[in-house]
Amino acid sequence: MPTDTLDSTFAALADPTRRAILARLSSGEATVTELAEPFEMTLPAVSKHLKVLERAGLVSRGRVAQSRPCRLEAAPLREAADWVESYRRFWDGSFDRLEDYLRDLQEGGDDERG
Amino acid sequence: MTNGDDPDAGRRALEVTRVFAAPRELVFRAWTEPERLKRWWGPEGFTTPFCAVDLREGGVFHYCMRSPEGHDTWGRGVFREIIVPERLVLVTSFADAEGNVVPATYYGLGPDWPLESLMSVTFEELSGATRVAVRLECVPPGPDGDGTRRGWVEILDGLAEYLAKA
Repeated sequence: MPTDTLDSTFAALADPTRRAILARLSSGEATVTELAEPFEMTLPAVSKHLKVLERAGLVSRGRVAQSRPCRLEAAPLREAADWVESYRRFWDGSFDRLEDYLRDLQEGGDDERG
Repeated sequence: MTNGDDPDAGRRALEVTRVFAAPRELVFRAWTEPERLKRWWGPEGFTTPFCAVDLREGGVFHYCMRSPEGHDTWGRGVFREIIVPERLVLVTSFADAEGNVVPATYYGLGPDWPLESLMSVTFEELSGATRVAVRLECVPPGPDGDGTRRGWVEILDGLAEYLAKA
């Protein structure tokens, strides 16, 4: 795994085609030909995107000689998802409480407590 | 969520917004005065037993969050930009009790978490209400993260079910 997984994960996700490929692979393995079908794109172009995803550790390739099916690798995404989730949790909670606090203040409530 | 019109939005940034039914000056004070910050800062169930704010460029915001189980997490931010009562920009990170920057691993989080994040907070006045937008961005951004303008948050959402099973 690359030393900076988050960086390579987010760089890999910064492209709509690559996100679509990952979404497709989340429902099961697929060959490059199958992955290319929904896109108006040549096989080499799709392969190039796959290489970025492979380098980021998000996709692995099977060993079946000709087809080498692609598979989603979830671990780096989990780290990215954890990062996003922790910020969401922080801000959802903080904003809820800030809302209550501001309401109390304006109702002439308990401003000076605590 | 990222903003489609923002040229920086393709980098790994996360934006959260909320409209508060309060005048902007009051909301800004709630963000910049320690005794007010203590009342709301942190995730649900957490308390803020310590909070210090040196509100000037280069000044430090240092705080401690205490989880419901009693675990303390310290954090800090260094003010990079202050426009009263419109905007705050801070370089944020985890910290120790003395205010030194520490990596996320100090608190048992993954080794690939960013050491520092850039946090910009804008306060927009809306006839008596205030829209607060918090934008978080890792520093430095990824090498080719500007290839698109939105979407990685969505794909993470979309894959959440898969991740739960994997």
